[in-house]
Amino acid sequence: MNVHDKYKPLTWWDKTYIPLVIDGLSVTLRHFFRNIRLHILNVLGIKTKERGAVTYQYPEEMRPLWPRTRTLHRLMRREDGSPRCVACMMCETACPARCIYIVAEERPDVQIEKQPKIFNIDLGKCVFCGYCVEACPEDAIRMDTGIIDIASYTRNGMLLTKEQLLNIQPKVENYVARPDLVEGQPIY
Amino acid sequence: MPTITIDGKELTVDEGKTVIQAAEEAGIYIPRYCYHPGLRIVGQCRICLVEIEKMPKLQVACYTRVQDGMVVHVNSEKAKRARQQVLEFLLVNHPIDCPVCDQAGECYLQEYYMQFGLYDPKMIEDKNKKHKAVPVGPHVMLDSERCILCTRCVRFCDEISKTSELGVFNRGDRSELLPYPGKTLDNPYSANVVDICPVGALTERDFRFKVRVWYLDETKSVCPGCATGCNIEIHTSKARPYKNEGRRIARLKPRYNPEVNDYWICDYGRYGFLFVDDDSRIQQPLVQKDGQFNEVEWDNALYMIHGVLNQALENGKSVRILGSPQMSNEDLYALKRFGNEVLEIHDIPVTVKPLEKPYSDDFLIREDKNPNTRGAALLGFDTDHAATEKLLADCRNGGVHSLIIFHHDLFKGFAAEDVRSALDKVETVIFVGSNMQPTAELATYILPACTWAEKDGTFTNHAGRVQKFDAAVDPLENSLPEWKILRRLAKQFGHAFAYFEAEDVFRDMAKKVPAFAGMSYRALGDRGMVINENGRPSQQAEVKEELTVVSK
Amino acid sequence: MQALAEAAGKFIFFIGLIVLQIAAVLTWVERKQSAVMQDRIGANRATIFGMRMLGMFHMLADMLKLFTKEFFIPMGARKFIYLLAPMISLLFALVGFAAIPFGDVLIIGGREIPLQIANIDIGILYIFAVLGMAVYGVVLGAWASNNNYALLGGLRASAQMLSYEVAIGISLVGVIMVYQTVDLMEIARAQGQLLWGWLPQWGILWQPLGFLIFMAAGIAETKRIPFDAPEGESEIVGYFIEYSGMGFGMYFLTDFLETILIASLTVTFFLGGFQVPYLYADGFHFPWGQVVLLPNIVVAVLQFLSFLIKLILLLFIMMAIRWTLPRFRYDQIMHLGWKILLPASLINILITAVVLTLIG
Repeated sequence: MNVHDKYKPLTWWDKTYIPLVIDGLSVTLRHFFRNIRLHILNVLGIKTKERGAVTYQYPEEMRPLWPRTRTLHRLMRREDGSPRCVACMMCETACPARCIYIVAEERPDVQIEKQPKIFNIDLGKCVFCGYCVEACPEDAIRMDTGIIDIASYTRNGMLLTKEQLLNIQPKVENYVARPDLVEGQPIY
Repeated sequence: MPTITIDGKELTVDEGKTVIQAAEEAGIYIPRYCYHPGLRIVGQCRICLVEIEKMPKLQVACYTRVQDGMVVHVNSEKAKRARQQVLEFLLVNHPIDCPVCDQAGECYLQEYYMQFGLYDPKMIEDKNKKHKAVPVGPHVMLDSERCILCTRCVRFCDEISKTSELGVFNRGDRSELLPYPGKTLDNPYSANVVDICPVGALTERDFRFKVRVWYLDETKSVCPGCATGCNIEIHTSKARPYKNEGRRIARLKPRYNPEVNDYWICDYGRYGFLFVDDDSRIQQPLVQKDGQFNEVEWDNALYMIHGVLNQALENGKSVRILGSPQMSNEDLYALKRFGNEVLEIHDIPVTVKPLEKPYSDDFLIREDKNPNTRGAALLGFDTDHAATEKLLADCRNGGVHSLIIFHHDLFKGFAAEDVRSALDKVETVIFVGSNMQPTAELATYILPACTWAEKDGTFTNHAGRVQKFDAAVDPLENSLPEWKILRRLAKQFGHAFAYFEAEDVFRDMAKKVPAFAGMSYRALGDRGMVINENGRPSQQAEVKEELTVVSK
Repeated sequence: MQALAEAAGKFIFFIGLIVLQIAAVLTWVERKQSAVMQDRIGANRATIFGMRMLGMFHMLADMLKLFTKEFFIPMGARKFIYLLAPMISLLFALVGFAAIPFGDVLIIGGREIPLQIANIDIGILYIFAVLGMAVYGVVLGAWASNNNYALLGGLRASAQMLSYEVAIGISLVGVIMVYQTVDLMEIARAQGQLLWGWLPQWGILWQPLGFLIFMAAGIAETKRIPFDAPEGESEIVGYFIEYSGMGFGMYFLTDFLETILIASLTVTFFLGGFQVPYLYADGFHFPWGQVVLLPNIVVAVLQFLSFLIKLILLLFIMMAIRWTLPRFRYDQIMHLGWKILLPASLINILITAVVLTLIG
């Protein structure tokens, strides 16, 4: 039965629901026996081309991130270690969630003039749209750390300060190309 | 009277006007950097090039006088292309550091580049290095690299402030704007160069890096700094309260009013807003008990004050009021009604002359540092300093039971021992004001009034011009406009002042006081109206909006 | 005394060791089977010393959680009935198993023990009574909760269970007619006879329509998807909305027990009960003449295993149906019950009568 005869009145035979039940059962049981076969083979240590489940077992098994996936923010540094950010507030202006809080101050280097005194990102508000990265004229903020497990027991824990953002260690390995699915066997 | 055609629009203009002025009358905006209506014309920047028929080359619109039968094309292909090239040359040595530049967002380089920039620059040479971040005065920061040498600031110092601190040095692409050796830009109007600078070369030191200009909200207002009543705009940072060190008001900018201040204000007024967000602000009604101030609710405070005053009146003791010319016309009118109808006081002094004679000049800064002394006089208050002296003398003689002081810090106008000996004799001192100060600390009851930036109202300046100001921010915590305080206090006495908005007070005042007859908030407009001693208001000045950049 | 010990032994064995264990495992099966059907892994996070045991420990975790959670009594609830209702519900789900024969006769020390907890002559009526009482736990709990949603759930439950009990009852009339008895043991024994010498006379052979009707109505009796209008998590949450802790746990267990009860009844009425084809009291008698003699204990064990395997297969199918079909709309439930299953079961009686008369 496809969607186009949705409004076709049911026949007497259809109204007993028996053909429909059999239809449905054939789909689910087909999946059941296919998957249970793969699972049993996997448990026995026999490699199969497919795996029995399409899901990922998240904490143990990381879903590979595509190169353009936006993950946790980080602030970039200049060669001398000072923040690349000049506190132009473009990201703050572009942010639709208003989760970026910047307060500027004078930078000792007169050629650059300005730097952030406070640069907070409230991850509890952030919607990971990436506009801040787009807006940045200095390539000072990036969302390429590969870190996606962002959680905290407190609201304050979701607020990242300038120092934290500057010192984030990117996990680029999370971005590696999609591994062959045969390798990643599900965990039971 | 020559008749000219600009972009197909035919119009007749006064003899001696230049094309840019004529175009403005026709509502056509011609780009400009060096041209400023308040300054001499020099034809320096060449961005205003227009095509004039029968002239072989393009002409600068700012310096070309109109002739009868002239046909001007502002937006012809040739003129546009020329402007594009001029802009490109102006940007040759411009550092394009918009991310750190405070002017970004109100910069004419940005505006015009968005409109007709050459988005494919041809310059590959290194940019010249010049002085950056030079504090040329107490309020102004200079960045020579960003300067496009329009010399507006030089002309301002020559013509308006007449102090000539700035000049352009060296030649060619090494030309650089700098103060003359040994001079600093410290004249009382110095920060105006920031307003007229079309780019980010001159920026305010006090506003530096505080808030980006696009976060600011603008409110039309009047400067409360002196009797001139310069028209200003209050720029507030309300949407991002963590900026600007938590202060709500970010800066004041002059607002054009040819009848009062033209395009300028003094630095005294420009930086006179800090008390609005100061820590000394009174946020809650206070009652003094054993030298300690305790916070109370409005209703409780007014109930207690009513009790004190009522008892004094019933016992035939004297209650006196010291008003303030810092108050708006509305507040003063409400005070007058309160004094006359509720307390039956008819002589209310308002003026306290400062001990030291303040700075003044014959341009904008006046000796009287109160915005509304004229208004107080028109409303029948005693604006003589001697009246206040007499009031204090009465206090000293023990003839005053209760004294209500509005805003005044008496220590600024009288010797400290005189004030103390006078106020010590007064049973109850009630202070109504916005900020904590020595006189307030002597009071028993303190009621928080809000500042001019937090309420609607009008000031009458020294020349009798009634000008309206709008509330830029909400009243701080539990502070209230004075007329509201007086309305609520009058209610305690059983008098109903049927005012709900400041406009209601003004309407009532316009009906009752002849000098304000015929005025209304609507009629005052942006420029204000001059009070008329004959009881008829003068003609309102014609409102000419400043032309803003017209987009393609 | 001996009879009591015998009954107690059978009770502990069948209900304690078999039925309740299956009910517990069903909670795991429900999670894992649905996961496999939907290309998932299923619950596997509960661990003991790092062992996951295919998520088996979730049963333990569930139990611990349900026992340790607060049993909350909402404001305005009828406290006594509120406490009693889940027990009633659980009780009637459990007593139903007393009449289920799970084997023929076990001879221990010359004593014949019928493998049925209570050998009731009128077993079918007893089953009807027990199924009829099941609704009381639901309705009382719903009413005592003092909650509109619970009451709605209770109303739906009573209407639905009344409607489908009619179909259940009438569909079984065919079985009674075929086997000429209302004793479940006798019915199960009768299914061991052969037709034409080789075909076991299971109920499904004589009553295919009755089997379908009984299955459909039986699933409706369990109040599980696709007949879960009384629960309807997405709309009214159900008659147990206010129950927490073990109160909810009992309703939860009742759900699974009823599923097992219906499956057991289906096995008994239609799938030959404990019968193994060609297995008689003394061993196999194959149609081609071969005879394999077996001691009584082996026969009893084989019969019991036969019952168990049929039961488990049926439970698997019921679970598959539960995870395949969407919920019926309420009017569809009523339509199915009154306009399809009831006439169909009546027709079933008619056909059965005609066929029986023709055969003689």
